[in-house]
Amino acid sequence: MMIKTEKTLCLKSSRGGKVRVVREHYLRENVPCYNQLCQAACENEGKTLSEQLTHYVVPDAGVVRDFLEVLEFRELQGIVFMQTACHAAQHSRGRRLYNRLRSLLKDPRHDCIHFANEFQLYSYCPRERGETQEKWQSRSIYNAAVWYHDHLAGLRPVVMITEDKEAIAEYSSCTSGVYVISTKEYLETFWPDLKAAQELYCSIAQALLEKESESTEREYTEHLPAEVLEAGIKSGRFIQGILNVNKHRAQQEAFVRFEGSANKNTDLNSDILVCGGKHRNRAVHGDLVAVELLSSREWRGRTTALQEGVGEDKAGGGGGGGGGGGDESQVQSQTQSQPMPTGKVVGILQRNWRDYVVTFPPWEEVQSQSRNSQRILVIPYDYRIPKIRISTQQAEALQDHRVIVRLDSWESTSLYPNGHTVRVLGKSGELETEVQTILVENCIQVPQFSEAQLREMPTNSTEHPWRVEAGEVSSRLDLRDTHLVFSIDPIGCEDVDDTLSVRLLPGGTRMELGVHIADVTHFVKEGSLTDLEARSRATTYYLADRRYDMLPAVLSADLCSLLGGVDRYAMSVMWQLDATSLEVCKVWYGRTLIRSSYQLHYELAQSLLNGEDAEVPELSRLQANGTSEAELSKRRVELLEALRQLTRVARHLRAHRDQGGALELEGVEVRAQLDSSRNITALVPKQPLEVHETVAECMIYANHWVARKIQESFPHQALLRHHPPPRQEFFNQLQDSARTRGFTIDTKSNKALADSLDQAVDHKDPVVNRLLRMMATQAMSNALYFSTGACAEDQYYHYGLALDRYTHFTSPIRRYADIIVHRLLMAAIAADKDTEQVPSTALASNKDQEELAHHINNRNRAAQHAQKQSTELFQSLYFRDKDPLTDERCTADAVIYSIRANGMLVFVPSYGLKGAVYLKNRESQVVGVAEDGSCSWQGGTLDRQLDRISTTTATGTHTFKVFDHITVCISVQPNRCHPLNLCVEVVSSKPHQAAPSPEAPAGTGDKPKGRGRSELVQEVVRLAEEASQQAKEGKKGRGKLSKQEKQYRQSKQPNLYTVLQEIAQLALLDLPACEAMGVGA
Amino acid sequence: MAGLELLSDQGYRLDGRKVTELRKIQARMGIFGQADGSAYLEQGRTIALAVVYGPHDVRGSRAKVQGDRAVINCQYSMATFSTAERKRRPHGDRKSTEMTLHLKETFEAAILTHLYPRSQIDIYVKILQSDGGNYSACVNAATLAVIDASIPMRDYVCACTVGFVDDTPLADLNHVEESCGGTNLAMAMLPRSGQIALLQMDAKLHQDHLDSLMEAAMTACKGVSKVLDEVVRQHLQETVILTGD
Repeated sequence: MMIKTEKTLCLKSSRGGKVRVVREHYLRENVPCYNQLCQAACENEGKTLSEQLTHYVVPDAGVVRDFLEVLEFRELQGIVFMQTACHAAQHSRGRRLYNRLRSLLKDPRHDCIHFANEFQLYSYCPRERGETQEKWQSRSIYNAAVWYHDHLAGLRPVVMITEDKEAIAEYSSCTSGVYVISTKEYLETFWPDLKAAQELYCSIAQALLEKESESTEREYTEHLPAEVLEAGIKSGRFIQGILNVNKHRAQQEAFVRFEGSANKNTDLNSDILVCGGKHRNRAVHGDLVAVELLSSREWRGRTTALQEGVGEDKAGGGGGGGGGGGDESQVQSQTQSQPMPTGKVVGILQRNWRDYVVTFPPWEEVQSQSRNSQRILVIPYDYRIPKIRISTQQAEALQDHRVIVRLDSWESTSLYPNGHTVRVLGKSGELETEVQTILVENCIQVPQFSEAQLREMPTNSTEHPWRVEAGEVSSRLDLRDTHLVFSIDPIGCEDVDDTLSVRLLPGGTRMELGVHIADVTHFVKEGSLTDLEARSRATTYYLADRRYDMLPAVLSADLCSLLGGVDRYAMSVMWQLDATSLEVCKVWYGRTLIRSSYQLHYELAQSLLNGEDAEVPELSRLQANGTSEAELSKRRVELLEALRQLTRVARHLRAHRDQGGALELEGVEVRAQLDSSRNITALVPKQPLEVHETVAECMIYANHWVARKIQESFPHQALLRHHPPPRQEFFNQLQDSARTRGFTIDTKSNKALADSLDQAVDHKDPVVNRLLRMMATQAMSNALYFSTGACAEDQYYHYGLALDRYTHFTSPIRRYADIIVHRLLMAAIAADKDTEQVPSTALASNKDQEELAHHINNRNRAAQHAQKQSTELFQSLYFRDKDPLTDERCTADAVIYSIRANGMLVFVPSYGLKGAVYLKNRESQVVGVAEDGSCSWQGGTLDRQLDRISTTTATGTHTFKVFDHITVCISVQPNRCHPLNLCVEVVSSKPHQAAPSPEAPAGTGDKPKGRGRSELVQEVVRLAEEASQQAKEGKKGRGKLSKQEKQYRQSKQPNLYTVLQEIAQLALLDLPACEAMGVGA
Repeated sequence: MAGLELLSDQGYRLDGRKVTELRKIQARMGIFGQADGSAYLEQGRTIALAVVYGPHDVRGSRAKVQGDRAVINCQYSMATFSTAERKRRPHGDRKSTEMTLHLKETFEAAILTHLYPRSQIDIYVKILQSDGGNYSACVNAATLAVIDASIPMRDYVCACTVGFVDDTPLADLNHVEESCGGTNLAMAMLPRSGQIALLQMDAKLHQDHLDSLMEAAMTACKGVSKVLDEVVRQHLQETVILTGD
């Protein structure tokens, strides 16, 4: 069956010498061809190539190595990746490219397969003596292509694409039906419509060409070879970590964060500073690098002065770090902190390059920049990324445009990395371009749902209404007649994930609480296209003016949404509680069929609870239909009773959790804090309704019990969520700040922290408590998903909620983690029923689960960043059109929350934004404060203490202290390449006293700002739409991108997003912590 | 070796085998006339030579004599040319001593020693070429040699190694797979009764996976036993023809 041969390899030994190694090599006849056309009955399991294609294409090793990106176009179908090519690519370009190739092969949306040609008896050809590696690879791939063609009985032509001219000459006319052509020719003849692929091809080809003609002058020291690095890391000479560039001093400062605790240098517990471009040695933000520590004489401190993020990038910026350092260091000497471990990058273990958005410089600048106008330097949107050199012919057409760019290489001879363009986003400064930029920068891909995905969806139209299937009715527990189910959501919510029910059981000693969650997994089968899409999105993305759903609208807004008055599938958790003590007696999990009777909203539910005579729409409708009064009042009483019981249970649960030390971070103030990180909590009323908490508590309870269940059933592969306790040293700032106002914050445990935060209330100034809570949240780490097999059991603890196990179960419509948890729960139930069945085979292994958890965590972080950035974008766009001198809305009250060497950080409560205020400008003038509090730039000095900063000028001395209120003026700094910056300047040292404009009344800072916020978004959207309208009228073609993007916009109503966001925060009490990450970074 | 992918997504190992497939085994019995029994066995690129003397009187110290059974004396060694880098000491190092002990235990479990009280059986094994799975090649070769020496055994002793990569057991590891530092389980069993003569495992393994690994090892050993059985029958046939019966 198998034939054994031997092959000889020449390998390099670890000592650098050459070793001849002989390995066995087994060949077989039956290697699956993964083709539907197959005549020979191959065992084709999994992905196969469709038989409808006109041809199959075989890229050779060089093409796979250099042009994989082109092959990633989904339009290119029928690609056969030969094993030889894959191997060669892995060898020459490393893991990263290979992993990309692997995921391409696994992705069912791409029509491509892998053929193990070297293990096939007839397609294998051993390397001959004296034959070069490249020659052998082309021969081997050509042979395989011929075999593949013959294997399919010549039914379809096979095209081999290569960049090797010799191969074309040698093989092109050898076999009929097998064509050998160049990639360019292939794209032009077979895919003439796919312009994007051709452009990408040209762009890469040009970049490759440039690389060859590179000068040989060294700009950087060479990286050490991988073996040396590996050995060095093991011996502790080098330290491995992710390079993090300081956003505000992208040229000078970067830090390397430790990975793991395996490091032997225990005395090094801080990050390692990497100073200047020479020492950074071509590492880019996010790369996994190896650093060598410098001798401690060369250690430097980090700069604590505020500095504008505008990259003052001189031509020699990369190399100037060493030379220009002398005179700079004098200036910085006063503003630097204690010297910290400083090192230099000696090698890069793993590049983590992604797609970058860059801006093309204006044409005049390009021309002056270089004689060779094809190579230009473009400036990335992200400050932390160095300028990228690109070769293109389109520089003139693309000036001031935002373009997606990929990095190719960074040789030691080149000051800047080389890249190539991928796609044009649009003109810089336009709303659509900017929003797309935010998405790309966060690696968020949200194409429209494809035809094939939508075909999987059930239909629900007036002609074909969706009905409950009879089979499902019998297999599910039918709660339609027995239970009073209702939902409480914000007004206007269309995707209702969760409903509740509560009732007294017959006998009166027990009551039953039920949480019913939309049964998304019934519609989204594991491995289906929709499932894969949802998995890659991992969450619904909320931006300031739109949202990108995780699931198609037919599910998220209709069939999965537990709307009132219609039959819906649900996943339920039902507890039997003791009616008096409320102890849990029994828990039931399973699939149910429900019909929600009331779709309440928070305000309505609360007023019902308060005994007010509020109108319930469902009852009014019944009344209109002529239901008797007695019946109506009976129903009303029934509903009221249910709400009361629910409140009682929730209070009990909350009290229980409080004893354990649950953090009150979701209180009034924290919601305001969230506001400060630009989340739209503005809609949350000042006094949160109790019913918010009631619903949230039930959801937490359900999540907790589901977590218990799946963890018990699958101790090694359950997906849970934990919130690690924060590190104590992060609380220093909080404690210092609190001390200035005479409060002490105890951070020993979550309970102590919660208690002391509650006590730290300044009655004259409520903002103080908000800021303290904000700092506390910043000190905390993220809550994260994890697989139970990957963590010790004592690490399951959720610090914020004070629960030993927690997961996400209650929002499957907008979170993929919940879908996984639903599947796990179903598997657990199935395993309970039938112990014979071994469920673990069908479930993802611990490794997969951990990978998935990592992916979801990443996506969540991206979603939060994108959300934050889009809100910032809208803020900037809002202020951009205002004249700060005349427009009153640009002047606001601000509170100082941190002191820096040359300024301070302030929080503007009325707009919920944070900013830096400089007290010293570039001409070394400082802010002088006059008698009446007005400020102006004057010559003088600054004096900084821990919690205060004083300016001394001719007019006198003024001291700014933490928690002081000042008046600031907000303006926008024009910026072409980077995100727009808000510039905050101090106008007066007194609190803002101006006539309060409707959305920004002065002083107190805790008034409802809902109108202000939503107005802001609306206004910007309106302006942008007007602009694009005008543009469209003027020039038809120009609005192409924005028109296309408009279709993606699934919600025109900015309010809906805010509403959803609010519920998100209620359900996700740990979200503030995640937010802290975004702010803290 | 960190960069090597031992098991591809398509289910192939580095040398083109699938997870359960063994390396090619070729063997010959009775290659030395002088010895009582001898065998030569190739398992992939690992080559072992086994020679058996006995049963005969106990040589050397009388203290070794067992009144109720035969003493088994093993010696394992590797040829200096057996590995890619020349070995300095062919035998007597720690690894060989350990291997000798393992072989001894394995064959004490399999040979019907009580039939030969007060006597001794010598088994000498030499690895001529090493490419992973030295222990199993030795055991398999020695089994054939013992059979060739007409010493009664309970059953064939068949040995095979199993590794564990990406949550999947790999049968019959070669040198590259062995040296990647994963789990490595060596098993010698009597296939007909399913009894295990020796079980040895290096590196950590989660308890949950042990069952599947053992299962894979047993299947692999049974596969080996089929091949050995074939070899013995072939050898018998040849002998019968030669002796002209």
